[in-house]
Amino acid sequence: MTLSQAAAGKKLKVVALKKGNCNRCNLASLGIHVGDEVIIRRCAPFSGPLLVEVLSSGIQLAVGRGMASSMEVEMLDE
Amino acid sequence: MSFTRSDVVVAGLSMRLVDLPGTYSLHPFDAAEQVTRDFLLSGQVDAIINVVDASVMSRSLELTVELIETGLPIVVALNMMDDAQRKGITIDIKALEAKLGVPVVSTIATRGQGVSSVALKALHASKSKRAGIPATYDRDTEESLNRLMASIPPEAADKLGVPTRFLAIRLLQNDEVIGKVFQELSPDAVELANKERKFLADEHNWPEESVFASHRHAVAMDLFEEVARVVPRQKLSWRDRIDNVLMHPFWGFIGVIVALGGLFTLSFVVGDALAGLVEAPFEPLTEAIGAKAENSLWWAMLGGLVDGVIGGAGIVLPFLLPLLLLMSFLEDVGYLPRAAFLVDGLLHRIGLHGKSIIPLILGYGCNVPAIMGVRILESTRDRIITALLIPFTACSARIVVILALVAGFLGPWWALGVFVLNILVTALVGRILSAFVPGSAPGLLMDIPPYRLPPPKALAQKTWFRIREFLVHAWPIIIVASIVMAVLQYAQVDGYLNSFLSPLTSGVLGLPVVVGVTLVFGVLAKELSLVLLYAALGTSDIISVMSTTQILTFTLFVTFYVPCVATIAAQIREIGWRWTLVSVALNTVVAVLIATTIGRLG
Repeated sequence: MTLSQAAAGKKLKVVALKKGNCNRCNLASLGIHVGDEVIIRRCAPFSGPLLVEVLSSGIQLAVGRGMASSMEVEMLDE
Repeated sequence: MSFTRSDVVVAGLSMRLVDLPGTYSLHPFDAAEQVTRDFLLSGQVDAIINVVDASVMSRSLELTVELIETGLPIVVALNMMDDAQRKGITIDIKALEAKLGVPVVSTIATRGQGVSSVALKALHASKSKRAGIPATYDRDTEESLNRLMASIPPEAADKLGVPTRFLAIRLLQNDEVIGKVFQELSPDAVELANKERKFLADEHNWPEESVFASHRHAVAMDLFEEVARVVPRQKLSWRDRIDNVLMHPFWGFIGVIVALGGLFTLSFVVGDALAGLVEAPFEPLTEAIGAKAENSLWWAMLGGLVDGVIGGAGIVLPFLLPLLLLMSFLEDVGYLPRAAFLVDGLLHRIGLHGKSIIPLILGYGCNVPAIMGVRILESTRDRIITALLIPFTACSARIVVILALVAGFLGPWWALGVFVLNILVTALVGRILSAFVPGSAPGLLMDIPPYRLPPPKALAQKTWFRIREFLVHAWPIIIVASIVMAVLQYAQVDGYLNSFLSPLTSGVLGLPVVVGVTLVFGVLAKELSLVLLYAALGTSDIISVMSTTQILTFTLFVTFYVPCVATIAAQIREIGWRWTLVSVALNTVVAVLIATTIGRLG
């Protein structure tokens, strides 16, 4: 499933980042990588962005829906 | 793009510190990051002071790893150690120094702790020219790099002044700038790099373009785990509690409205007080000059000069200064990124991103720094749409006109109506533009930093940079325009201009013919149209000579038509003259449409 389909408040693991060139490098330089564990902390209204926290570093990022649908994640049990 | 240079003396030796825009990597994503990269590789740098945010160290170390590869001497300033400690992170500085091979100093810059020690170490590093220990990647990558290094002619590294290994890494990373240089120096190396990159990607099933991004991440994470210990916090922090309100889908929006309302109200109250202080002492001077200006060209020109100076100092600056200061505060404290997060969904409907809200708010102070502010947006499309929308936001000069004419003669509720109409029109134009401006809009991706109390010095600096854009790029134009206007008035061309414009003014808009001249000069600086209106009508009691509909039509037209010359100049610099022409045409058409519609309704 993609990050945009995932539920808020659940532990997720980033499995793949699809889409073109620079989206990916920018994600990496801002702190999200394949293999990172993340949580969707909240969703902005009017189908706005998601607030994603990277668990290992505590970094919080606003990720737009378009970008979120290009990030493949899986739910971690617990 | 502006950055500060400051000369400091450390241990009896003087050195020049250059503060470059912050960047996450040497692979630039926006114009500011490009500046940083270009400067670092320009050969003018003796040593780099790499300021690392200790509270998000694993991410920051990726840049450190990249910087060490440039072969330049580096000192790492491990900043915000207090924040890191609060987050439960302890860092073994000695171990980090050993791993990186460069000096590491722990600092709390807001309190000045460790700063002089950083400067001293940077001085030593620039003398000894000792570079750090470049990170080792996995075996396959290292083998690829070795093959590539062998194919790079030794004179290439000499010519560019960087280590061969750095060049090999950049080529493997498909760096555009280095790649272009090598197309001439050694096309073979570029070809080999493409082959090696493909090989690595296929071998490991990595996407080609992120081979190095994920490598550096892995290296930085390993480093972080080796030198830092984290005791994670358990309870809800105060940051989370504040965010529960400020980022709430409902209360958050109330927060945005209150914050922006407060921002403008406070700016206007302070601005009004400041304007009074500035204008009062000039009054006898302008009156004295005005008396002589009627029969001497030189006195008329001097009068124009003084009017231009006062126009900038008395109308724009008093409002701009508090607005910019408060904006910088909201930005640095961490609120604006959160506001951008909330409004992103709404701004998407008019074809923009949440980040565009910052230049748009600046537009209400002065359009010139606002246009320059579009540089923070990554995509060309966003920059163009935002730069086309900014002239629709009523800058302080136009707010003065709206307040004087509409609030003054029709009442405050009418003025509020004009502002609401202004916002609606801006949104509608944005919606239409987003359908026509080519290019794709990449999704929003923005760091949401923790709340922080910004040090006053940093605030003052940020405000100064934006004020300087007004002082350097807008004010001189206003002054020149004001002198030109004085000359034209002296030459008594008003009559010609008025009759030339009468098809528009009285024909289409239904206004008195004498306002023609005020509209022409309003292009030079919008607040002039108010002053000139009094002069053209021969009274400041406008309501006695114009109907309420005419006052409304005039104000709306002045608010929306052609942006002032200083704004046009800024637009040409940021988005090119073609888009600037589009912007001028767009504003004029919208202004005529709205003013005539109001005229019909009234």
